[in-house]
Amino acid sequence: MTELATMNFHPQPQAGEARPWAFPAPTRGTLDNGLTVLRCHRPGQQVVAVEVLLGAPLDAEPAGLDGVATIMARAFSEGTDKHSAEEFAAELERCGATLDSHADHPGVRLSLEVPVSRLPKALGLLADALRAPAFADSEVERLVRNRLDEIPHELANPARRAAKELSKELFPASSRMSRPRQGTEDTVAKIDSAAVRAFYDRHVRPATATAVVVGDLTGVDLDALLGDTLGGWTGSPAQPRPVPPVTGDDTGRVVIVDRPGAVQTQLLIGRVGPDRHDRVWPAQVLGTYCLGGTLTSRLDRVLREEKGYTYGVRAFGQVLRSAPDGSGASLLAISGSVDTPNTGPALQDLWTVLRTLAGEGLTDAERDVAVQNLVGVAPLKYETAAAVAGTLADQVEQHLPDDYQATLYQQLAATGTVEATAAAVSAFPVDRLVTVLVGDAAQIKAPVEALGIGEVTVVAAE
Amino acid sequence: MPMGHTATAEAGSGGLTATEHRLENGLRVVLSEDHLTPVAAVCLWYDVGSRHEVKGRTGLAHLFEHLMFQGSAQVKGNGHFELVQGAGGSLNGTTSFERTNYFETMPTHQLELALWLEADRMGSLLAALDDESMENQRDVVKNERRQRYDNVPYGTAFEKLTALVYPEGHPYHHTPIGSMADLDAATLEDARAFFRTYYAPNNAVLSVVGDIDPEQTLAWIEKYFGSIASHDGKPAPRDGSLPEVIGGQVREIVEEEVPARALMAAYRLPHDGTRACDAADLALTILGGGESSRLYNRLVRRDRTAVAAGFGLLRLAGAPSLGWLDVKTSGDVEVPVIETAIDEELARFAEEGPTAEEMERAQAQLEREWLDRLGTVAGRADELCRYAVLFGDPKLALSAVQRVLEVTAEEVQEVAKARLRPDNRAVLVYEPTAPQATDDTDGAEAAAADDTEEAAQ
Repeated sequence: MTELATMNFHPQPQAGEARPWAFPAPTRGTLDNGLTVLRCHRPGQQVVAVEVLLGAPLDAEPAGLDGVATIMARAFSEGTDKHSAEEFAAELERCGATLDSHADHPGVRLSLEVPVSRLPKALGLLADALRAPAFADSEVERLVRNRLDEIPHELANPARRAAKELSKELFPASSRMSRPRQGTEDTVAKIDSAAVRAFYDRHVRPATATAVVVGDLTGVDLDALLGDTLGGWTGSPAQPRPVPPVTGDDTGRVVIVDRPGAVQTQLLIGRVGPDRHDRVWPAQVLGTYCLGGTLTSRLDRVLREEKGYTYGVRAFGQVLRSAPDGSGASLLAISGSVDTPNTGPALQDLWTVLRTLAGEGLTDAERDVAVQNLVGVAPLKYETAAAVAGTLADQVEQHLPDDYQATLYQQLAATGTVEATAAAVSAFPVDRLVTVLVGDAAQIKAPVEALGIGEVTVVAAE
Repeated sequence: MPMGHTATAEAGSGGLTATEHRLENGLRVVLSEDHLTPVAAVCLWYDVGSRHEVKGRTGLAHLFEHLMFQGSAQVKGNGHFELVQGAGGSLNGTTSFERTNYFETMPTHQLELALWLEADRMGSLLAALDDESMENQRDVVKNERRQRYDNVPYGTAFEKLTALVYPEGHPYHHTPIGSMADLDAATLEDARAFFRTYYAPNNAVLSVVGDIDPEQTLAWIEKYFGSIASHDGKPAPRDGSLPEVIGGQVREIVEEEVPARALMAAYRLPHDGTRACDAADLALTILGGGESSRLYNRLVRRDRTAVAAGFGLLRLAGAPSLGWLDVKTSGDVEVPVIETAIDEELARFAEEGPTAEEMERAQAQLEREWLDRLGTVAGRADELCRYAVLFGDPKLALSAVQRVLEVTAEEVQEVAKARLRPDNRAVLVYEPTAPQATDDTDGAEAAAADDTEEAAQ
């Protein structure tokens, strides 16, 4: 029983004329010290975003010292030759600035955001951190202890626990990618200030670094400002570093990380795929969106909007690391959580969605809506300086041209239904997926075994 | 003067303006032009939140918000999502204690579609609402509750603190997600009655911000929303007034399978919209915001007894605001060690007040947060609605940062002295149990203050 409304109805309005928008093109240059600089003026964006990429990848960490890149990244904001750790934090906050840093497979990244009026002061602090970090014994020791304290919190988080297990399953033990990015209790405990200093000396220099500056730069003499700040950072010339090839074992199988009593099961189903240099990438973006990009994509249409098994399941491709020669790898995955009693039925439906996709393909209507969304949201997505800076930095980190994103939008618009289907099907083949389930093994093991999606093993949570 | 530092001459408002209008059916409209990017944000605040819920029906406002995406007279099934996303837009809805909001950010040339969609569900939701949607979204919301609260360590901390600070029977005693039992008990008729009671044009504010032609936009709003009937059946929300301070320390010990001991506390603070609330915001920032705060320096840097330590502020207009302290202990450190240090720091702050440098830092941080919020059309649209619904004047959003910059060190000290006291706090202590418990489980990361909002996606 529904009831009638009394308002005046009008037909659905038609779109007006689209106003042109293009992904911003940065200007590229190099400082005398070899630092590459990308800049981009975005009118109205009063909070400027600065991203600095350092050529210090995780595979450069010495054996047994996993986590040293992370500790170094954190130690950049713990004091310099001019300020103690407490003073440095206070000076940054006095600028109204935030400075985040983290280490990942391609390298270490620092992200500064600051109101443009205080950009000179904040860039000076950032330059001090890169040029003359203190790496004081006591501060590094504190960061190590703090990191050790964080690990149990991460292991207790179902999504992070699943990610850790999937990396271990997919990659050979000899690959850095098989191990946690921020190290384990054993490796982190061995890190000291000497190790951090040694890693810095070997891998951090302006010649292998890039700074991306985006925001409303009206009235800012950026050349002079960069010269006075990041320009004063010195180091030896660049030494090319080989990128190790990435291989993954995607034999279909299931690993249950046992969490007795869990009310939900965390799913992470994945394999290794190509990076953004591969010609399939635009079609794969499109196909993956149709499969699991949003609430109205195929997975959620069944698992959420028909069955109510989940708050949401997403499919995605995430670049792990790229190389200048175009080789590289990404993680292709489906993730989400479903209530414990419906874990078997939810996985059954998920596999049915994949099989149906392979058997019947996408429809033209699905492809059209996906293109309209992926291309149409660009001006919204890149409204802030931080969003533009992040994408420009990703491109540099992945050895892609500065106009990659702009070109990608043209390629998406030119991709047909057949190509998108083929890309999605080869990205998620039903017999080549590694499934990690963090949940209550006593309740979910038997129903999962009955699905025939691969051998099921159970491991302890800790 | 050590205060009043500004990053720009306009102090965050950046020369922004807004105009106000009212349709005959009572719908309030706020428009703000900005042509820098070809996008427009539509934001609709309904003056209804979890504080309007009655006993036995907690979570209904949020469950209802989900139903608003299940179609209306002219929009089939998931059409709200499909049409907006297919037009290159983004959308969502959230529910908090004091309001429910719905928003779309669109490429400029698709603005009219978003207005048509919002009007259709405001005027005709019940033409489409059925049992199938109700049963499905009940399951989705229960899974949302499991994912965000029940299946993560410390996930229910905020719910527990809220229940301690606002007494049984108080409209803010429960959080927007509601209880599993109440979610199970809600009926289709409850949802229909909720819509008929609260979803009226005269109980809403609509803001449109960005690359718009105000005259054309207003004409579209009149066309699509103008014929929706107003009605006045809304009951006044239950009284949320409480003594300014709790009057004695309240305490709960939680023994659960969590990764580390934790000390959390909540304080009653001044109502949102007052100068004292801005002073409290500055006090909490100085004490527990960022990595140069007093508690971070003391517990994480110097004593090394904590992994993380911070304060958050939940601004509330209809009840005392809530200041939330969250400390996770390091290693085997016992909670009393942490508690003593916090008491010392809060007492010293109340005694001495902030330094000029601390005021400068805290004001710079809050100013940047405002620049961030007003830096996108969607953020600006939401703030305009907030000030219109809660304080009657949307333009207050554009001068909010200036008011924060005008607060003096004396006012910050005064609010700390009056409110950040042991007899005005509810304390929650987590003591880890060994694994194997079968009633409750794990996850990580404390739920932050923004976890009071529930989203449709």
